[in-house]
Amino acid sequence: MDRRHFIKLTAITGTTAALTACGNPENQVIRFIPEEELVPGLSTWKPSVCPLCNAGCGVIARVVEGDAEVFRNGEAGVIRMGLVKKLEGNPEDAISQGKLCARGQAALQVTYHPDRLDKPRKRSGERGSGQYVDISWDEAITELTGQLDALVAANDQKSLAFLTKPRRGRRLELIAQLLQRYGAPAPATFEVFSDEVLRRANAISFGAHQLPTFDLEHAKYVLVFGADVLGTWNSVVAHSAAYGRMRHGGAGARAKLVYVDARLSQTGANADEFVAIKPGTDGVLAWGIARAIVVQRGGAPAAGDAPFTPEEVEKRTGVSAAKVERLAREFAANGPAVAIIGGAPLAHTNGLFNAVAVNTLNRVAGSVNQPGGVSFTSMAAPTPTRRFSEIVQGDAPKVLLLDDVNPVYGSPASLKVADALKRIPFIVSFGSFIDETSALADLILPDHSFLESWVDAAPESGAAKAVPVTFAPVMRPLYDTRSTPDVLLDVSRQLARPLANLPASFEEFLNSEAAAQPRPQASSLKSHAPGSVVISEPQFDGDAGQYPYHLIPHASQAFHDGSLAHLPWLQELPDPMTSGMWCSWVEINAKKAEELGIHQGDVLEIASTQGSLRAPAFLSPGIAPDAIAIPVGQGHTNFTRYASNRGVNPITILAPTMIPETGTLAWAATRVKITRVGGPDESLILFGGATRERPEWTHGRGDEH
Amino acid sequence: MFRSRNTLLLAAFVLLAATTACEFRSPGQPKWGDESVPRSRWGTSPVFTPARASFGDAFRQFVGSRPDPVPQPFDFSHQIHLTKGLVCTDCHTGVEQGPRAGLPSVNTCMICHSQIATDRPLIQEMTAMQAKGRDFEWRRVYDYAPESHVRFEHAPHIRAKVECSTCHGNQAEQTVARRMVDMNMAFCVNCHKAKQASNDCLTCHY
Repeated sequence: MDRRHFIKLTAITGTTAALTACGNPENQVIRFIPEEELVPGLSTWKPSVCPLCNAGCGVIARVVEGDAEVFRNGEAGVIRMGLVKKLEGNPEDAISQGKLCARGQAALQVTYHPDRLDKPRKRSGERGSGQYVDISWDEAITELTGQLDALVAANDQKSLAFLTKPRRGRRLELIAQLLQRYGAPAPATFEVFSDEVLRRANAISFGAHQLPTFDLEHAKYVLVFGADVLGTWNSVVAHSAAYGRMRHGGAGARAKLVYVDARLSQTGANADEFVAIKPGTDGVLAWGIARAIVVQRGGAPAAGDAPFTPEEVEKRTGVSAAKVERLAREFAANGPAVAIIGGAPLAHTNGLFNAVAVNTLNRVAGSVNQPGGVSFTSMAAPTPTRRFSEIVQGDAPKVLLLDDVNPVYGSPASLKVADALKRIPFIVSFGSFIDETSALADLILPDHSFLESWVDAAPESGAAKAVPVTFAPVMRPLYDTRSTPDVLLDVSRQLARPLANLPASFEEFLNSEAAAQPRPQASSLKSHAPGSVVISEPQFDGDAGQYPYHLIPHASQAFHDGSLAHLPWLQELPDPMTSGMWCSWVEINAKKAEELGIHQGDVLEIASTQGSLRAPAFLSPGIAPDAIAIPVGQGHTNFTRYASNRGVNPITILAPTMIPETGTLAWAATRVKITRVGGPDESLILFGGATRERPEWTHGRGDEH
Repeated sequence: MFRSRNTLLLAAFVLLAATTACEFRSPGQPKWGDESVPRSRWGTSPVFTPARASFGDAFRQFVGSRPDPVPQPFDFSHQIHLTKGLVCTDCHTGVEQGPRAGLPSVNTCMICHSQIATDRPLIQEMTAMQAKGRDFEWRRVYDYAPESHVRFEHAPHIRAKVECSTCHGNQAEQTVARRMVDMNMAFCVNCHKAKQASNDCLTCHY
């Protein structure tokens, strides 16, 4: 081959290659015609409501035109549409007041998550194998209708169960109505960090079965028992906004915040004073302070108050008698003062006693229904629901509908929830993701994301006035998903014996008048004199000698109860107290760790009577020497690419101890033992790590502090 | 004489080689032959500066070469539409309201073409596309690389009565749109000076 020939050949080959590369139709994406005309580049802010916790913060969503990969009529392609790019608090909203927490900011990622379920599926392999085949919505609804018709034919409608999160609002109301008309029992609810105990206590103390609202803005003295009011507990955004104003009340008006717990939470870190207390004795301290206030005012303590003398309180709680008297003086003198209880103190076997004691303290100080005190919003009674335990214990339902709820992750392993669910012949999941529970589903009917659907919320507390809200979708659906209330309406219409007089859609239902519901009486403030409640000791699982440490699981700043661990922004969010991210850790008292020869990052084995787990140690001065804390949220076995097989789930090793009055899990009532099993294994990931202020963290050696 | 011509040829050769083969790429610099970017950016620096970013750019500017038109789904003729009395804003509707002029969807085309020229094969093809819900994959002709940190907003320029043709050339003379105006920083700054608009850095770079 001569040179000229070579050049010619190269030119020909090159041109051919270039020509074939361009315009190959197989490489071209389908582009759908836009369904809406938007001015490109201009943002519109549309209101919605954050669904990630029960607070019900109003948000505004920035919608901008952009290209999105979507499903339309069974085809994947690209479309130009209005896309939500940012969420912020809605300034017009009573709860969020224009602010939003980090979790709410990350709610955006629910819609665009790469592992979001995009079309209906039917199980094709073994249960839990993760093998599914795509089916059409018509097939899916026929399948579900067939199962429900079979129950009707067998006159066994009560074997239909619906499990959801305890959200107030008209979505749950519609679901409950449909279930009732079909003949099924009320929907069941599941929540790890349930506040049912507090509601029960408020019903006893004030005749209001609901969560309290605190006027932090006008309070001059705030005494918090274990409630991470600024981080994870109840209406965090509303609390934080009010807290900000409380701290900037003008010259000389800076209110005092005292935090009582066995572990220093984010709220504790913001407090002026941290009072360390033995786990589960918060009620004794609260009652002791209430008694001391009565005595200091020259009143006579009630006969039953004998166990609450400052000396007795010191013996039981570990808080010195002098401190009890001082707290009482401060609480009485710096009105308006308010006491708040939440979190771990409610999750002991004596949680109800603790809550009632704090209510009593508030009443003794005259803080109920007063500015700067505690009050209850006037709102419609919640939709009646039943306990989750009714589903897994006793007669198993034949058909279970799961609405974005994950009890397999949120229950102690010893309860064998997964096994109980596997015995249910037919499970349908409406959630947008495969998680430990929905992995057991036979049929997956994915819901729209909250940005794509009609949403509503009826916040129970947080703002002085409860305002139920309803919002339209802020963007069009990306995928072949359907709004779950609408699917349920479709199914109800297509039953062999269809339900009559149904609303055409969830939208129509939301825009109709709410069914007349009894309004609660204005807090009747039943008299509940100190002394009429018997002191109740916390019970712990595990012998104190063999299992010397209290295990305090706590809601994670990032993942709350673990339902948000699939959002990578939140995985990347450093914990405010430890700076841990993408991992789990065991918070252990620094001095205790020194005694035990445990250093930062060392791998510990934490064992309860129920099981054990391994996680790295984080040395902290903010935890009692006889307690360890592990954040809840990680340790998923099957929950998208970001959360699966990362960290540990402390719930698994909890004892199945229930709070007797409410049947909810006493998640702070487990004792554990600690064994150091090895040096740092790099599983402890701290923000900024090791390089700056704490070079010793690199080597997992925290000897100096 | 002979020697100097030789030198000139050599210089021209070096220039040509550098222009075509520019292999010394900085990060983010589009590769030679990367079809996803306009050909004019091949081998050029992603940074938009008043000076030319690369030897290749400088040479192209020196000889006044215009980049090839961006390949479009079909050879849409701006000339035909403008001579029939349409104006730019009929199809590029966002231009008066927002930062971007926008590219029309098939629906916009069909406002007229459900009635006009329905016998042409291309229009019939488009009618079928609309029935199937398919849109054209138009490709942008003018754009700034993100690395240039330039944010351009159309609406204020329209309000200031800047003609479309000032930046986009006379489209009535073009068929498929192509870059007729080299929108480098000098071009922007000169016009801002002439119109007494702000030349603060943050006017465009933010």
